[in-house]
Amino acid sequence: MTSSHAFRRFAFAYGTAFAAFYVVALKLDLALFTVYPSLGVVLLGTHHARDVVAPSLGFLAPAMYWYGWTATAALGALLFGFLTALLPERWTRRIWPGWLWAVPALAMMACVYLTLPWFRL
Amino acid sequence: MATALLIVHGLVAIALLGAISHQTLATWAPAHARPGSFFGRFRAVPSASFANAIVVLYAVSTLLGGILYLYFRVDIRPELERAGHWPALGLFDLKEHFISIGLALLPAYWVCWRHPRADEPVRTRVAVTSVLAFIVWWSFLIGHVVNNIRGFGS
Repeated sequence: MTSSHAFRRFAFAYGTAFAAFYVVALKLDLALFTVYPSLGVVLLGTHHARDVVAPSLGFLAPAMYWYGWTATAALGALLFGFLTALLPERWTRRIWPGWLWAVPALAMMACVYLTLPWFRL
Repeated sequence: MATALLIVHGLVAIALLGAISHQTLATWAPAHARPGSFFGRFRAVPSASFANAIVVLYAVSTLLGGILYLYFRVDIRPELERAGHWPALGLFDLKEHFISIGLALLPAYWVCWRHPRADEPVRTRVAVTSVLAFIVWWSFLIGHVVNNIRGFGS
């Protein structure tokens, strides 16, 4: 019974925190790792091409950050979830359960805002 | 290999779309609908029974999409960039962001449906399911638009 309550606290905290951390990772470009699929290389951290002389090289070795942003948010949310699971039940009962859908909904709106530059090109 | 994966990804997505649409409509439809009516029959199916299937289908679909994204980034996206399909690429990026957020919601979604607490408001479950349904529909539609973009609207 206790473990199921702890898992509930973890699941609610993880889903909520992930959405918030994901927006932060996207805004600050905090990818845990960068994937270069054409080279089959994965580098720790966020790496951007610094080649200003021949920027077309970016087409030859495109970098992918989505996996890294997701991993960053997952790591932060895991820590937050585990900490919340350790809290006493009476503390977490006071938290509004609506955060579970409100935070992801707000995070999705923030993602739309951060993606707007694509539509101005 | 990529084509086979894309077809499987599409089939899994269709199954997921059907399951989550059914569950979402059942949660929104009036509980007092006439037994013989369309919504009455809809409500007769226990919505909670879809939860396990939705979690598995969402996870499998995300995994397949994550593998296909590698092919997309190398073979498809540079072509779309050269052709100036920036809005489509923006919509596709949104799809990726939404899918990540939805994936993280799955444990809580599962708890809401399979182990609901008596004092928990039903609207939390309805809202989480609706958010997931929106993500699945968005991903399905945008995935198809980008998949067919070179013949779409041209």
